[in-house]
Amino acid sequence: MNSKATQWLARAGRWGRWLENTFLTLLLSGLIVLASAQILLRNVFSIGLAWGDGLVRLMVLWLALLGAIAASRENKQIKIDLLSHSLSEPLQRAARITTDLFTAIVTGLLAWHSWRFVQDARLFGDTLLNDWPAWVFQLILPIGFGLICYRYAVRALQQFPGLHR
Amino acid sequence: MILTGLILLVLAILGAPLFAIIAASAMAGFYRSGVDLSVMGIEFFGIAEMPILVAIPLFTFAGFVLSESQSPQRLVRLSQALLGWLPGGLAIVCMAGCALFTAFTGASGVTIIALGALFFPALTKAGYDERFSLGLITTSGSLGLLFAPSLPLILYGVVAAASIDQLFLAGVFPGLLMVILLSAYSFWINRRIRTSLAEISGKEVLAALWDSAWEIPLPIVVLGGIYSGYFAVSEAAAVTALYVMCVEIVVRREIPWREVPRIMRESMVLVGAIFMILGISLASTNYMIYAGVPERLFAIVDTYVAGPGSFLLALIIFLLILGAILDIFSAIILIVPLVLPVAAQYGIHPIHLGIVFLATMQLGYLTPPVGLNLFIASFRFERSIVEIYRATLPFFVVLLISVFIIAYWPALSLVLVD
Repeated sequence: MNSKATQWLARAGRWGRWLENTFLTLLLSGLIVLASAQILLRNVFSIGLAWGDGLVRLMVLWLALLGAIAASRENKQIKIDLLSHSLSEPLQRAARITTDLFTAIVTGLLAWHSWRFVQDARLFGDTLLNDWPAWVFQLILPIGFGLICYRYAVRALQQFPGLHR
Repeated sequence: MILTGLILLVLAILGAPLFAIIAASAMAGFYRSGVDLSVMGIEFFGIAEMPILVAIPLFTFAGFVLSESQSPQRLVRLSQALLGWLPGGLAIVCMAGCALFTAFTGASGVTIIALGALFFPALTKAGYDERFSLGLITTSGSLGLLFAPSLPLILYGVVAAASIDQLFLAGVFPGLLMVILLSAYSFWINRRIRTSLAEISGKEVLAALWDSAWEIPLPIVVLGGIYSGYFAVSEAAAVTALYVMCVEIVVRREIPWREVPRIMRESMVLVGAIFMILGISLASTNYMIYAGVPERLFAIVDTYVAGPGSFLLALIIFLLILGAILDIFSAIILIVPLVLPVAAQYGIHPIHLGIVFLATMQLGYLTPPVGLNLFIASFRFERSIVEIYRATLPFFVVLLISVFIIAYWPALSLVLVD
């Protein structure tokens, strides 16, 4: 990999991280505020926002995927990993490349098939929360899986001997 | 089909993320059955259709904030002031403090880092054997698992579609049993330590109470609210997150604002990792039910197992092995949907099953090779993992005894329920 591409990747990585953090912070703060506001409205003023609970649940889905993207970046997805510690260094690297590529392929498939799911929802005009088009909220699925796929693909490539600077 | 399974098993052992393994096997299954694979997206979207799930990010975040603040120190001071006068009471102080903290911070191993580092020097200074102290702290790190509002209890309720309020009630006596048996063991081992750590001092009790004045309402409001039925679990989670943020960041200012995004990110990394497996397994569980796996599993189990008693024994042995390679969250998500229908055939109450499941998986934190607490303690106290394991072994045995009592005495779990 030439140094320009590496530089570009590093810059994209920094931007991506900033975006992830910003979205995560906004979403989680919004979730805390909205969930608390619902309780206050319900118990003190005996009213509730009709779309409030639905929005809270969608925010949880978005948070889950953003968290999963962040977990992939930090290589903190849950795994069993019984064997790799007892392998020699070259074998360990081969194991990492194999499992990262495998994960990239699986998440790539997930991204593609959830993209088809989103398109269907758009075609049928599904709606959520008082007439909002459902596909807008579902879009996080292909985006999330796609970014996780990208993350694992990059990591697999970076570990190929000779490619890493 | 067997070949696919073998390849996936090898990939899992080599360290591929668990969600990718489950996704691959589910997609292979759906593909062979001719089901359109967009079902994966549809099922994953199911996360947005379970109202209770909001409790998980909120409680996790609150737990991360609590452990980054000075609350652990205050909790240690308060429990010492209240219980330190008991001869040999420091061990009990340690367990009580850790149990409370674990229940509130979600059993992610953070207890050992936050509280263990404070208790370890205090224990050795008070004359406790070093190995005993190490074992005690490593064990205490997962002790509050059965007390509300711990994350594994909530997750079991979600996966088993069982009442979380009932689970919170059911965990009380089994959790206390574990604490009491461990305390009895500590008393016996340390019977020579007759001097108490300190005289009880009204002044210190008052000072410690005052010191923790902002935190004390938290368990009272949350637990009181849940047990009295005033709050739903998800509401209690929202209140906890908001309250903890206000107290530790705005009032006490122990966590600067600029640290908040980092803490949010760290807590959501854990939530994302758990939800990834949960979302994918919504699809894989559906496939397994579609393919009739629980029925076939029951048929196999039924040929070897005669009744509920031997079923529970087999379950405990299976979970002990499983707990040694799989963390508690993945185990709940993946295994409960399979075990639940089988257990129902033997007439085991789903709430009782949940308590047995979690109590046994709690031992998983202490079993090599992946026992989370072993690693954290080894890392935190700079001891070899073997040394930690040896120190933990007697506590492990005591907990195993309590698991058997919990399993074969259903009333202990069910007396408060219904």
